[in-house]
Amino acid sequence: MSTLRQAATLKLRAWAARRHGPDSLPITIHRRRIYILPTRFGIMLALMLIAMLVAALNYNSNLGLAFAFLMASLGVVTMHHCNRNLLGLCVDATTEADAFADGEARFEFLLRNDSSVERRDIEIRCLAAGTGGRGSGSGDGTDAGGTMGSGGGGVQPKSSATLTVTIPAARRGVLRLHQFELRTRYPFGWFHAWSYAQCSLIAYVAPSPLGSRALPPGAERGNASRSEVRGDEDFSGLRPYQPGIPLKHMAWKVLARGGEAAVRSYSSTAAQPEWLEWSSLEGLDTEDRLSQLCLWILESDAAQRPYGLRIPGQEISPAQGAAHRVNCLRALAAYGIAEPQ
Amino acid sequence: MPYRDLQGICACLALTLAAQVASLPAWVLLTVVACAGIRLLLARRGGTAPPRSLRLGLAAVAIVLLFLQLHTFNGLAAGSALLALMAGLKLLETQTTRDIYVITLIIYFLSLAALLEGDSFWMLAYLIGVCWLTTATLLRLTTAGTTGGGAPGWRLSLRYVGRLMSQALPLALILWLFFPRFSGPLWHLPATARSAESGLSDTMSPGDITELALSDDVAFRVHFEDAVPPPHERYWRGPVLHDFDGHTWRRSYSAPLHAAKLRTEGPAYRYTLSLEPHQHHWIFTLDWPVQWDLPRAALTADYTLVQPEPVSRPINVQATSYTRVQAAEPLQPMQRRRDTRLPPDRNPRTLQLSQTLRRAHPDDMDYVRAVLGMFTQQAFYYTLTPPRLAGDSVDEFLFDTKRGFCGHYASAFATLMRDAGIPARVVTGYQGGTFNRFADYWIVRQSDAHAWDEVWIEGHGWVRIDPTAAIAPSRVEHGLDAALGADEPLGSRWQRDTPWLADTRLRLDALRQLWRERILFFDQDSQQKMLETLRIPQPDGQKLVMVLAAALTIALCWLTWTVRRELKPTPKPPLVRHYLRLCAKLAAAGVPRMPHEGAQAYAARVARCRPDLAAQVTALCQRYNFLRYGTAPAHITVRQFETAVRAFRPKFKPPRPALRPPDSHAS
Repeated sequence: MSTLRQAATLKLRAWAARRHGPDSLPITIHRRRIYILPTRFGIMLALMLIAMLVAALNYNSNLGLAFAFLMASLGVVTMHHCNRNLLGLCVDATTEADAFADGEARFEFLLRNDSSVERRDIEIRCLAAGTGGRGSGSGDGTDAGGTMGSGGGGVQPKSSATLTVTIPAARRGVLRLHQFELRTRYPFGWFHAWSYAQCSLIAYVAPSPLGSRALPPGAERGNASRSEVRGDEDFSGLRPYQPGIPLKHMAWKVLARGGEAAVRSYSSTAAQPEWLEWSSLEGLDTEDRLSQLCLWILESDAAQRPYGLRIPGQEISPAQGAAHRVNCLRALAAYGIAEPQ
Repeated sequence: MPYRDLQGICACLALTLAAQVASLPAWVLLTVVACAGIRLLLARRGGTAPPRSLRLGLAAVAIVLLFLQLHTFNGLAAGSALLALMAGLKLLETQTTRDIYVITLIIYFLSLAALLEGDSFWMLAYLIGVCWLTTATLLRLTTAGTTGGGAPGWRLSLRYVGRLMSQALPLALILWLFFPRFSGPLWHLPATARSAESGLSDTMSPGDITELALSDDVAFRVHFEDAVPPPHERYWRGPVLHDFDGHTWRRSYSAPLHAAKLRTEGPAYRYTLSLEPHQHHWIFTLDWPVQWDLPRAALTADYTLVQPEPVSRPINVQATSYTRVQAAEPLQPMQRRRDTRLPPDRNPRTLQLSQTLRRAHPDDMDYVRAVLGMFTQQAFYYTLTPPRLAGDSVDEFLFDTKRGFCGHYASAFATLMRDAGIPARVVTGYQGGTFNRFADYWIVRQSDAHAWDEVWIEGHGWVRIDPTAAIAPSRVEHGLDAALGADEPLGSRWQRDTPWLADTRLRLDALRQLWRERILFFDQDSQQKMLETLRIPQPDGQKLVMVLAAALTIALCWLTWTVRRELKPTPKPPLVRHYLRLCAKLAAAGVPRMPHEGAQAYAARVARCRPDLAAQVTALCQRYNFLRYGTAPAHITVRQFETAVRAFRPKFKPPRPALRPPDSHAS
């Protein structure tokens, strides 16, 4: 039964993807892309309504009929309200997410509600690629419907809300999702309405930071000089501010005098950058090397030292800051994985 | 499962069962209450459901008990009891929302079951209220699990469900009006458990009718199609009593379902009688019925209309009666024997009296007049509080107490007739009625209950003699109130004596009758009449279904519109609408406004791109800015702005390529 259901769901998803074509974010949920079906409870209710109707007709009871018809009409009205709960909602999403293996990737979805009705009980499900297991790293943690993760919430009238969907990331790699689904069972759980959005979400799953090797020699020296510097900060000059440099290095006085934004640079941090090298890790297999490199990146980043990354086929020149770290981690995540066409 | 929601669902179940307290076995109710109590206690302590084996055992025991008591699971009462038990036992094991779903379904169905045999507006309103509450609880439950913000509050939930129900109302109304009704049940209904009998019974002892006279309950309502019989002919025939044991009169069940033909005289009275359920087989009719529209009803040999099943639901009867009839056939010897029989050694003084009178009046009719004359000449009183009679009740009444109600007189008169060898029987029923002048019908209450006699006079047949009319003529002409002294303990007399209160009662009763006729008895005929008023030629079932489909289509369109209407953003103020129209015109002319541009910047850009429009656009945008943000001079109004925008008709020109910003132009 459940495999039948799963097969039907996959068929439907593929059909919806063909029907609507690829979407570009943000997506406004149009009425033609909302699907609705009764839930199992809704079917039970419908059967009960039929029983009610037959009983009322048999007893020739006009009051019974009135009650049965009121309940049936309530069901129809509920269907419209369930559909309306998604209608006209505007969805935007962060299409890229970062994670570590054995951790979780978080995609953020922004739901904007321009109408004056509150949207409640909206669930977003990120769906694994059609057949499952095609994209590397997928196939883990999927359930019967191919859902990889879900998040729920509501949106107040004339405002927006952020939903976070966490997806378990078991293995290093690049996780590509081609579809996500908005669904709701509001108000009574008699119906569920849903809508598919075809846009690719990418999660870069970096290796888990593990390893026992010490930093390369150049880095060791940098580390030592760093501890020296802690005592007396050895001011060596000013250089232009770049995003990512910690604010505590900001030359506020220069800025206050009306100059350009600048940062103080110190002899220690200005020390020659360390290179985190693939080739320095002889004797380890690929994943362990990547894990070690990941650990080094995180350590260097925490110590606010400039660092560069050299892995086969890619070289990232030394720099500092969050964007650089993300770049390096993504390089590790994508290592050895063919880019999709 | 939040404790509060569990409480809510228990409350809803209790409210539904409250509507069925009378029809469910007490132990079923107790079981459900106990289950709910145990579950709530467990939930309060944070515990889980009791073990599975205990629950299953309990369920098995309950179902066996139920079967032992009712011997069936078929039928309304058994089905309701079974459902109630299931809901109670389900409560014991509620862990997930799915269990609650099942309980809500049971609540809905139990509500319907309570309505199937009910007839009251208040019951319908109450049960709709219960379902409202149940659905609100359901809303809280379904949203609590998934929404980050938690379930909406009770007030909000109730308001939301109320709105949904009000949107469902038009649809439900259309379905109710146009859904084809069937003339009979789809299959045979199992007999329902009989509730308490009310009104007249098939025996009459002295004092029986007195109790009825104190009751204000409605026995039936009558609408006369055309002529209304005069008060002294308004006798409503009920069970006829033949067998007398000296104290109590009883109905004879040997009477076959065959009534001898009658020769009718005088006008025929056609009427519709709306009978309240009384759990007896007989149906009251105006004396003497000749035609009626109940297919299964028939006349007994003593002209009481009876049907095979007891009247357990309100029914409507259309009938025709003649108040003046003559028997066309002679009295059967068996009937004569039965209606002259008396217990041999009871009421000896009455026998003596009758023999004396009979000797003086050998003619039957003379004898009847003499007995009636005795009642008027001697000091007999008509009273609701006669002394208690024991033993030979007729003797004591005629010679000692001389105070009695209609039953005493009817009993004594019939005894005197039988002592003289004249066939006589006691007829019970109702006499009179109150006219409701706010709607054209008569109300006959239990306080109108009456007993009179019929005697067989050769050449005339059965002749109605009402000895009460001889003692208290105003009882027959004006009703019980007029006939009784002011000190009689007649119930709610003060209400009838206060005119405005009496009027209010009548108005309420008219409403009740309207409810009954228009709602409870809405059937095929009513639907056909409805189609006729809609001017649909030759209405039949097929056309009804077509009208239903058309009305449903309209209602569903309305529903879609009304549900989605709220999604539309609130309309912008007129000024902004006019400004947006200006922008649209300019966009059509090739200069669309950028999202970040204010009116002034836009005007400046238009002036650069399209010098031909510069003057107009600058003036318009300036006016807009004045109206929107500044204090506009008196001569600038929104209306004026609107006409200016309307009059503005820019021509399209392709945009000039590579328009450079002004500052780079200067350098």
